[in-house]
Amino acid sequence: MNEAPSAAIAELPTIADFARTFRRIQAEIHKVIIGHEQAVEELLSALFAGGHVLIEGVPGTGKTTLVKTLGLALNLSFNRIQFTVDLMPADITGTRVILSAVDGRREFSFQPGPIFCHILLGDEINRATPKTQSALLEAMAELQVTVSGTTYPLVPPYFVMATLNPIEMEGTYPLPEAQLDRFLFKVRLGYPGEDDLVRIISSTTGPEEAGVEPVFEPHEAATRIEGLKRLVREVIVAPPIEQYAARMVRATQPANSRVLGDMHAPIQVGEVNRYVSFGASPRGALALILGAKVGALLDGRANIAHDDIDRVAAASLDHRIMLNYAAHSDNVDAAQIVQQVVKAVRATRA
Amino acid sequence: MTETRREEQKLWLILFQIKGVRARLNFLALQRWLFAGLAILIAAIGLVLFAAASFGPLTFLGITLLLVITAIAGIVRETMVIGATRTSSAGAAAIADARSQMKGRLTTVLALNAVQKRSPLWAYLVEDTYGRRDEFEPARISPRWLSRALYSLIAAILLAALAIPAARLNNAPRRRSASSGIGGPNQITADIKDLDIRPADPALQPNAEIYADPETIRKLADKLAAAENSDRNRRGVSKLVDKARSLADAFQNRLNRLGKAHTSPARMRLTDSSPGSPSKSKNDNTPGGNAGGSGLASNSRRGATGNSQPGTAQNSPPPMTSLPPQQADELAGNNSTAPAPGSDQAPGATENPLNDSNGGGSSHSSGSDPASLYGPASGQPLGSDSFKIAIEAEPSDESSSPGSPTYVPPRIRVPLNSNQYPDQPLARATVPAADQDTIKRVFER
Repeated sequence: MNEAPSAAIAELPTIADFARTFRRIQAEIHKVIIGHEQAVEELLSALFAGGHVLIEGVPGTGKTTLVKTLGLALNLSFNRIQFTVDLMPADITGTRVILSAVDGRREFSFQPGPIFCHILLGDEINRATPKTQSALLEAMAELQVTVSGTTYPLVPPYFVMATLNPIEMEGTYPLPEAQLDRFLFKVRLGYPGEDDLVRIISSTTGPEEAGVEPVFEPHEAATRIEGLKRLVREVIVAPPIEQYAARMVRATQPANSRVLGDMHAPIQVGEVNRYVSFGASPRGALALILGAKVGALLDGRANIAHDDIDRVAAASLDHRIMLNYAAHSDNVDAAQIVQQVVKAVRATRA
Repeated sequence: MTETRREEQKLWLILFQIKGVRARLNFLALQRWLFAGLAILIAAIGLVLFAAASFGPLTFLGITLLLVITAIAGIVRETMVIGATRTSSAGAAAIADARSQMKGRLTTVLALNAVQKRSPLWAYLVEDTYGRRDEFEPARISPRWLSRALYSLIAAILLAALAIPAARLNNAPRRRSASSGIGGPNQITADIKDLDIRPADPALQPNAEIYADPETIRKLADKLAAAENSDRNRRGVSKLVDKARSLADAFQNRLNRLGKAHTSPARMRLTDSSPGSPSKSKNDNTPGGNAGGSGLASNSRRGATGNSQPGTAQNSPPPMTSLPPQQADELAGNNSTAPAPGSDQAPGATENPLNDSNGGGSSHSSGSDPASLYGPASGQPLGSDSFKIAIEAEPSDESSSPGSPTYVPPRIRVPLNSNQYPDQPLARATVPAADQDTIKRVFER
């Protein structure tokens, strides 16, 4: 049906390549991770959209296993940091140490921390102090690390996955909103269903462990992934779709004159005005569009549709909405708010 | 170069197909407006015709106004709806995207076809969309050629088709009575108890002539005088209601095609069946003076007369008399000679052949106080024995059976001669002294 791609596309991987690679990585991950199909898809979407992921789940749901499996499947360098309350920023970024040279002179040399890798797992990130948490900010946003006045670039692809434990809140430090906003998606991992649990038992208690085959060769992995990320950026977005995404983000913002001034959102959602203190930031709109682009490519399209936006709305906006006390009192969570927002904005489609 | 040209051709075909979708959607919207507007109009006209034949003037007027307002509101609403549903190219692309599962391809192609700097994936998008062109053909996006509003038009036509025969059925009795008159050609008997007497209105064209015995005419004159007085005291709203009633009546008659029936004057014999007393009080000239004893006054719909008094015959069923015009004229002629001095009977009492049976006619003294039977004789001679009063009246079936057409009161116009005035009672004749005791005894029984 489709003709040969033009010269401009020839430099990029094709849409079919993207979908094929994506599905293959997904399949490799699911050799180890049973269930959680949506979580895995969102995780890979964030990877190819060039963002980072915050994974929230109760203990034992495979958060760490998921991230490790992803590193194996991509055949990229992978580091893990277990965040604790006494973890210092230098433990993450690295530090300058005194080394003896061959001629006997001693000089300071930068010893890179675990942050220097392609895939970084920050386990239970909310157990570290805000100062340590903030050490990740520069790396996540600008792909660089500054230590003692010297900036060290990170090698792309760079992908941070941080896990959060929603229980055991004692001794934790909730992530600052600025840091939360830097995660493209928030992926929720819940308890598996009965069938999935049976499969987990069967596959993990036997003598053989499931082996994950890398999708890429070590020398080409970074290049291939970067190529796929560029393809995602080339997906075409029509102005009405951009307007739709903007409208959705605006609809998460309550009619709070302290924040919005006179610029009230055209779509007013009752739950937002009642339960939300602060809505999604412009980064939320970027997340919507980037996530939708990955969805469009997976569907074999070069353009995104309204449905693509709707599909990634929960993952993109959930962690960007700050709820007020009334929401906690009424046991309303951000996912419910986003659901209402999507419903309200969907009704305004042309 | 060739590849670019082919891509442009495909793009042009995609855009042309989107325009086709738009044209089809707009054509359907136009049809909807047209059919719905026609449906509203036809239904309203049908209902107006039905109301014209089924209801009285004021009810008809109210229903007509309601229908007109509803029809205008409906047409305005439909116009607003078509304004909102009129589809632009972007709207057509969005609709086609939604209905053909094109997932935003058409919207994107349409929105970005004029952009100079295109994505490397643009060619893929055009090719992909072009390959799916069968899915967004206008016939697939909107399979219908005719709007569903056609059903409402058909329903309205059926409603009107049912309403018009129903209106004709309802209208048939009125037409028959209008064409032939009640009781014979050009002869109508009107019960003065039910007469709606109005002051002469220059704008109204007389189309009926009434004959009656002098006493009835005298009562009629009293009634007219009272009505004139009351008309002066009437408020603006009441006048407006009358005007509205006249307007509705004229419109209703036109719709019912009864206008021609009024062109030929009807000759009517007017009788008074109620045993009223012309000398009941000295206030006969006043509007309220006729209220108690006179059947004319007590049945006036003007409301200018007072409350009826017990003992009067106003609640008795209205008797009807019917006389051919010649006989009525003859009676009127005899009336001028009958009440000669010394006569035992009141004028007209014996002349009306139906007087015995129904007690109507000119029984002056019925129910009067014998002590005040005889007033001073008037120096003014009696007027003409008979009056020829032109009124605009609409004959109607006076039966009060349920479901009968609403009684439409006639309008009466009474040209008086030069010696008569509306506010003057007719002169009272002198009773011979020899007969006074006899008459008193009769009334004392």
